[in-house]
Amino acid sequence: MRHHVALLAVLLVPSALAAQQVQNATLRRAQSAYDNLDYRGALALANTAQRERLNGFDRARAYELLALTYSAMDSILKAVAAFKEVILLEPERELDPNRTSPKVLSAFSVALTQVLVVRQLKVDSTDFVGGQGDVAIHFSVTQPARVVTRITGGAAPIKIDSSVANGGVNLRWPARLASGDPVPAGTYTVVVEATIGQNSFSASQPIRVTQGAVDTLPHLLSLPGYDYLPETEIPPKSWKPMGLALVYSGIAIAGTSALSSGDLGSASFREAGVIGGGLMAAGFVVMLRKPAPQPARGNILYNRLLREQLARRNTEIAQDNMRRRQQVALRVVPLPRTGGGR
Amino acid sequence: MTASRLAGWSVSLAVLVTVYPANRLSAQHASIGGQIVFGDYREVSSDLHYRGSGGGVSASFTYKKLGIEGSLASISYDPVAGSTATVSFKATQLDIRARYYITGPVSAEVGIVNRKAKPEFEAQSVGAVRAGVRMSYPLGVGVNMGLRGGMLFGSKFSGGGTVSGVGALELGLNMAVDAMKGRLRLTGDYDFQRIARTTGSGPGKADVPIQQALARVGLAVAF
Repeated sequence: MRHHVALLAVLLVPSALAAQQVQNATLRRAQSAYDNLDYRGALALANTAQRERLNGFDRARAYELLALTYSAMDSILKAVAAFKEVILLEPERELDPNRTSPKVLSAFSVALTQVLVVRQLKVDSTDFVGGQGDVAIHFSVTQPARVVTRITGGAAPIKIDSSVANGGVNLRWPARLASGDPVPAGTYTVVVEATIGQNSFSASQPIRVTQGAVDTLPHLLSLPGYDYLPETEIPPKSWKPMGLALVYSGIAIAGTSALSSGDLGSASFREAGVIGGGLMAAGFVVMLRKPAPQPARGNILYNRLLREQLARRNTEIAQDNMRRRQQVALRVVPLPRTGGGR
Repeated sequence: MTASRLAGWSVSLAVLVTVYPANRLSAQHASIGGQIVFGDYREVSSDLHYRGSGGGVSASFTYKKLGIEGSLASISYDPVAGSTATVSFKATQLDIRARYYITGPVSAEVGIVNRKAKPEFEAQSVGAVRAGVRMSYPLGVGVNMGLRGGMLFGSKFSGGGTVSGVGALELGLNMAVDAMKGRLRLTGDYDFQRIARTTGSGPGKADVPIQQALARVGLAVAF
């Protein structure tokens, strides 16, 4: 049963960071012994390697090999102690749950709760207008601790947050100075420092802040979905001109008849008839002609309303553009980290 | 000499109107033109009945709500068949009207009328102040018509006589048709006057009414 578990651990544990190779020969031999299920040999060689001059990577691999070997030998406490050293050396170290035995994962999880580290510090890359957005900062703390988050690199450190935290923490930084102005362009460092009594750990993430002009909005020439309507319309043909000419001529002739003095005989309608006839002829021609375009009151009012809306919107855009010209577009980009926390 | 000078002015005016840009003419507010005039004149009784024709000139000017029209007509009246009148006479009539737009189709009009007859004693010369109302209506593009009615006040006659307060009335019908994009204006104007003139007083008082119907057909240049 013990051998089966060890075999499973060997099969499922990922080979240590394939991208980077172990430099120390003794450690390579220990890894080989572990791969051949020679746990005692692996333990002896790993301990020997620990006493040799190792770089950070090799030292972390040595402790990790010890932790895996102790797990395979069911020495869980020793495995946890070795994993604690691994975590302190490489706080971001993660084990693949799909390729790692539950026993090893359990030891690793226990080790995480017994050391104070700030892990998985991430700063989201983002663009926003100064004063109208913020930068998301995420990290996790392995133990309940006083956590202070600062931005360094500027004229003076900027404290973002100070609180007691445990587990995942999400913060938002508006990228503003104490005066309210956007932070100047440059390279800054997000520093997260966790403290429990005398024990402390800090992690950092460099970021680059660049500034740019905020895009202004173009003025509108039309409102989308709303088109101007023709302000004139041709009315249908009507008998009204002829009718009116007839009425006016009739009134003139009837008026002449009514106003005529009886003493002077019957009135002469020749003059009224000539002018009235001409008027009726004109009315008849107008009636047959294509009517002239008439102002379309509804359309005129609609267009006026549309113009007013457009002018109002453009006024708002102008005011908005004035404000935008005074604003600063900030771009925050995380930079590659040069080292782990401590 | 006078005829040739008139012809010269006419040619100059025609050239001016022809070459004047149409867009400048669109804001025309003035016109001047000639008229053919014919009329019917009666006085005292149906026995004194004349008909005649002649010519005239007219001019108008419009500025915003204000319009001023003037016309001068010369009509040679001849007695109609059956009339007891035997002598023709020539009437020269001056009409001036000032119009002010009030609302809708309605404008108020004031003005004067002055008609002189030659020979002096063949017909009455008349002078009066007129006041009335005009209703104008556009029949279509460039076609306008108007109906006017009013009273004559303070009438003076060469042969004396008076008119009661509402005894002198006039009625008119006019039309105007624009042509050549508004450069020319064909006009028609009908004007009817009835003046209930009386002479003498007491038992010698006599009704001597005057009535004239006048038609003017004209062509005006607008600018």
